[in-house]
Amino acid sequence: MKFDTIIIGGGLSGLVAGIELLRKGQRCLIVSSGQSALHFFSGSLELCGTEEDPLNAIRGLESSHPYSRLGADRVEALAAKVQPFLSELGLHFKGDVRKNHWRMTPLGVMKRAWLTLDEFASFQDPETMPWKKVAIINIDGFLDFHTSYIAASLEEKGVECSVSGISLPQLDKLRENPTEMRSTNISKVLTGDIIGTLAARINERIDGADAVLMPAVVGLTGCSDVVRLKELVDRPLHFLPTLPPSVPGIRMQLMLKRHFQKQGGIYMLGDSVVSGTFVDGRLKSVRTVNHEDTEFEADNFILASGSFFSKGLVATQNGVVEPVFGLDVDAVSDRKEWYDRNMFNAQPYMKFGVSTDSEFRVRRDGNTVTNLYAAGAVLSGFNPIKEGSGAGVSVLTAFGVVENILTATGGVER
Amino acid sequence: MESFEQCIKCTVCTVYCPMVAVNPDYPGPKQAGPDGERYRLKNPMFYDDALDLCLNCKRCEVACPSNVKIGDLIQNARLKYSARKPGLRDYMLANTDVMGSMATTFAPIVNGMLGLKPVKKVMDKTLAIDHHRTLPKYSAQKFETWFRRKARKSQEAFPEKVSYFHGCYANYNNPKLAKDFVKIMNALGYGVNLLEKEKCCGVALISNGFKEKALKQAELNLRSIRKAVSRGEMVLTTSSTCTFTMRDEYAHILGLDNSDVRGSIALATKFIYELVDLGKARLVFKKDYVKRIAYHTPCHMEKLGWAVYSTSLLRMIPGVDFNMLDSQCCGIAGTYGFKKEHYNDSQKIGESLFRQIADLNVDVVSTDCETCKWQIEMSTGVPVENPISIIADALDVEATIKANQKK
Amino acid sequence: MSSGQEFDVIIIGGGITGAGTARDCAMRGLKTLLLERKDLTSGATGRNHGLLHSGARYAVTDQESAQECIRENMILRKIARHCVEETDGLFITLPEDDLAFQGTFIDACLKAGIRAEAIDPKVAIRMEPSVNPSLIGAVKVPDGAVDPFRLTVANALDARIHGAQVLKDMEVVGFLKEGDRVVGVEAYDHSSKEKKSFRSRLVINAGGIWGHHIAALAGATVNMFPAKGALLIFGHRVNNLVINRCRKPADADILVPGDTISLIGTTSSRLPYDEIDNMKVTADEVDLLLREGQKLAPELAHTRILRAYAGVRPLVAADNDPTGRSISRGIVCLDHETRDGIPGFITITGGKLMTYRLMAEWATDLACKKLGVDKTCRTAQVPLPGSEEIRKKKNVKFEDLGQKAAFGRHGARAEKIQSKDKYDDSLVCECEGVSIAEVNYAIETLDARNITNLRRRTRLGMGTCQGELCACRAAGLLSKANGCARESVTDLAGFMNERWKGMFPVAWGETMSEAQFTSWIYEGVCGLDAFSEKSE
Repeated sequence: MKFDTIIIGGGLSGLVAGIELLRKGQRCLIVSSGQSALHFFSGSLELCGTEEDPLNAIRGLESSHPYSRLGADRVEALAAKVQPFLSELGLHFKGDVRKNHWRMTPLGVMKRAWLTLDEFASFQDPETMPWKKVAIINIDGFLDFHTSYIAASLEEKGVECSVSGISLPQLDKLRENPTEMRSTNISKVLTGDIIGTLAARINERIDGADAVLMPAVVGLTGCSDVVRLKELVDRPLHFLPTLPPSVPGIRMQLMLKRHFQKQGGIYMLGDSVVSGTFVDGRLKSVRTVNHEDTEFEADNFILASGSFFSKGLVATQNGVVEPVFGLDVDAVSDRKEWYDRNMFNAQPYMKFGVSTDSEFRVRRDGNTVTNLYAAGAVLSGFNPIKEGSGAGVSVLTAFGVVENILTATGGVER
Repeated sequence: MESFEQCIKCTVCTVYCPMVAVNPDYPGPKQAGPDGERYRLKNPMFYDDALDLCLNCKRCEVACPSNVKIGDLIQNARLKYSARKPGLRDYMLANTDVMGSMATTFAPIVNGMLGLKPVKKVMDKTLAIDHHRTLPKYSAQKFETWFRRKARKSQEAFPEKVSYFHGCYANYNNPKLAKDFVKIMNALGYGVNLLEKEKCCGVALISNGFKEKALKQAELNLRSIRKAVSRGEMVLTTSSTCTFTMRDEYAHILGLDNSDVRGSIALATKFIYELVDLGKARLVFKKDYVKRIAYHTPCHMEKLGWAVYSTSLLRMIPGVDFNMLDSQCCGIAGTYGFKKEHYNDSQKIGESLFRQIADLNVDVVSTDCETCKWQIEMSTGVPVENPISIIADALDVEATIKANQKK
Repeated sequence: MSSGQEFDVIIIGGGITGAGTARDCAMRGLKTLLLERKDLTSGATGRNHGLLHSGARYAVTDQESAQECIRENMILRKIARHCVEETDGLFITLPEDDLAFQGTFIDACLKAGIRAEAIDPKVAIRMEPSVNPSLIGAVKVPDGAVDPFRLTVANALDARIHGAQVLKDMEVVGFLKEGDRVVGVEAYDHSSKEKKSFRSRLVINAGGIWGHHIAALAGATVNMFPAKGALLIFGHRVNNLVINRCRKPADADILVPGDTISLIGTTSSRLPYDEIDNMKVTADEVDLLLREGQKLAPELAHTRILRAYAGVRPLVAADNDPTGRSISRGIVCLDHETRDGIPGFITITGGKLMTYRLMAEWATDLACKKLGVDKTCRTAQVPLPGSEEIRKKKNVKFEDLGQKAAFGRHGARAEKIQSKDKYDDSLVCECEGVSIAEVNYAIETLDARNITNLRRRTRLGMGTCQGELCACRAAGLLSKANGCARESVTDLAGFMNERWKGMFPVAWGETMSEAQFTSWIYEGVCGLDAFSEKSE
């Protein structure tokens, strides 16, 4: 089977690249080994969270950082494309590329963010809250969101909080299962006609509050339930992230995938690329588990297979490898050097990834593979957690790699 | 490494389990699979009979980012630990070929009876087969009989041949599908052989707890398949579930080594697509064939990862307005949805799929699984056809024969 | 601040020895106070194999220990049924070992009263499919598994039932003395952050390796040498029988199944005393444990490792050898009145988890003698709470995983774990099946105040994901119970960091994926780093 570009990895980076390439007229295949890390999305995309101006922060990064290799100007140009890109798919975010805002975590901690989903709470200042009094409302028996943390944090900032829980008969049925009272299963109940009842319950609990805060447990497969609920609740309603799985993250995954497929892209879920045929420094074709002898050929390939969690990188007792093609990795071989004893210090392993040239083309046995590009978390040289840069690197390197591919193939839009 | 140990407790599987969303008695794939397995290894008393509720749709496996064989873990635990004995109803539903050969002989009577309200009530009461269900109609003449009488001779003229595993459904209930397959293959220049002996693939036996019988049938099928493969023939099917069962469940659940022939068992659509893709064959379609089609990915097709072949072929038909449905379980899960105790869950699982189909307003839904066909037809009233039948209907046979003779 | 009441006996140390001694003292009617500087089992008790020794391991080299072990082994099967798994054990001979040793071994076992029976290697493989199939000899012995957390908690609980007071977070920092006589202790209360004093007629030092320092505070010298032993925990129960090597005891030659997991251990190395509170498992130790472990059960080569940890065993210098070279392996019960001229002070040390009850008996016998109490020890006959017969079988229904698992952990006491409302059956820890009801029981009845306490009482966070899912839920429940949200988040940060310390030495493969995932969730999504203590 022949494609213009084959993308390995169907998460944020792979799907953004795929959609962008389809728009340029390419024929694309995505092979995704299971669902992606978007399932643990916080509701906010981060570009660089180390200081107020993310673009300024990016200028101070090491030269090996993916952003530095894109170049600050290109980062700025690419970053400007992201909000409109997502908006076109029905994913509406708020934020400013020149100035980070703040989001509130499930523990009530304030963290810097670049783009936050419209329906989520966001703040211009971590200490000055836009409300005098809020109603924090949870679903009774939902263990992955704790109102007390949110209330404690807001009360420290001078906001009066009323905390309450909602129970509905339909949710009671779900609760009979001792493990499945999860955000996503709740969202499967809280859809359609029940939204009206939910809104009524919320309204009963507003009690003079300026705003309502609740966990993001509505809107798994689309935005309509969210929109409807916001309409029906008497005060501004803001969502806060929960512990996994992430309802808005799964929605984002689904909407990106739907769009990709609708544009003619082929998305193979639950399949893994197992080998590649290399000819003259180029990757000619790949094979997958499900398709055995079938050769999937393409002019260009993108490796967007993620980090250790997604098995884009695999650590063994003796080293770190890229498991699909055995590509060169930037990693220390001695495992004693991978870790810091304190979990909350920067962990060296977080920066491990595949080794690439200035165009993000990977290396194999020291030689550049001229048509295999890497994007997203599989890249080396950045610590997404400490920098607050995970989503930014995923999306911007995907855009960057697409530009590189188009330039290399003559930039012709077919 | 044991597959359950690869689980990193990310909970993604629970998002895609069709059962957990509708039935709180089902512990969910994470708890029933990798979490439960650790406990069962400690002490079999931790086995939970609620694992019977698993549809074996394998959507948890497809979603898992860590390659945990969640569905296999659950099915294997059921076969290993379940103390529940399958009853007459399970026997009837599981032994699709015994039922089929009995019923075909008396097809008009059986079909009439199965459709009659009082009979359905009795089945509901005594056998706990839900009365909402109409058991699939049985054809008066089995495909095998037709083939022997009408088609076998002419196959000898073709220099290249494939073997066909027709399965119970095409044999007893829908011989047209099997005939369509023969028609297409012949048009493409391939003769069709049946296997020396063929028994039901065993999917229903496995899911109803008849492991020993499933093993016997699997061994018989593998013997026949090996003979065909040794003649240099591919073994093609027109059912995603039979294909999946023989390729994967034989090894993962029944513990048989099928690695020598696994690669030679394929869905007809995969085989045909690859012929076309590699330029080895051409399909010519009728100019006047116009249909609005939606494709539904059956669970086992999703697991096989082969929907791309069926859908790519359908998209080749010029007059087809193709629509892809979101991949999700229709709720029937083989014989599961026929059981009275599961009827409500079964329909609830399929609800959003049925809504999507209704909204699309299509002429026909296409899918590679016979039980999905029953479920969707019963629940939406929209006719459902196997892609092979759609291709056969759309095919300009004469032109196709010509196009492939030129080579 | 001083507590007004005077105790008969104060026991220092909430490990198994201290808890066992508190139980024995309380059962004999002594007014008893147990002080623990951190949490029950937070020292060496919580960091060993959990092996219910048959004594076979010691039979050839130390008959006395072997005999003690088999006697206590049989007692624990009766009194601590819910803490013990009667698995049996194998001593296997591999091609590289001397098969002639097997005869010596069996003779020594039989002499000590240990049922040791040579079995055909093929039978051994059938009994324990994970065993190295190249074995050339096997001996079956009555080894088993014992859960040290459960055993300690049950002893402390029974001590309380018999009137003892058990205080945690209470670190002894000095002794009250009248002349040379010890008349109580001074302790720092880590929860209220204040000093307290407690008076008693006798003080028993059951501080394990920390007893070295405690004795010094009282003015006595007990020379102890810390011996570090590293172990690895595997992700599931690989073996159902304990597997040992039939040779002189060496490194990494015991594989013990315990609840849902298996453990390989141990290494053995001397450790400077000032490192006992900050032990590190090195990469070399991990490699050695894996290398040797695979010889017992080859599938360990591809079994997930959850964590590595190290315990410290107190080796006590024989009293007549001030150089410390001659080590006493048995139980050491020191009467500091006769030994050092310090009346009112006793040290009980040496010994091992297996012989804790006997140690407690010796210490309590001595205490009773000094206090003039004439009561006999009954700890070998009376079952621990949880190990009583379940009286009304009808009323006990264990349906789901959480209930079945809780029964395994709390025995008959699981009856007391009642769901109060429709939410209580929900699982907090999904790997180990810990429900809200069980967490609440641990908070209310077993004095669990933080997540680490909960882990020791219930196995919460001990499973495959090492707290990734459950820790935050547990913190939420504690926050609700204690009414202090901020504190519980700080506790959560500390707990996750503690889990990490066991994970990073073995963080490759799935353990690395899990660790990265955990960091994404807790630091990336939740921002837990804001609550981490800026130590190290």
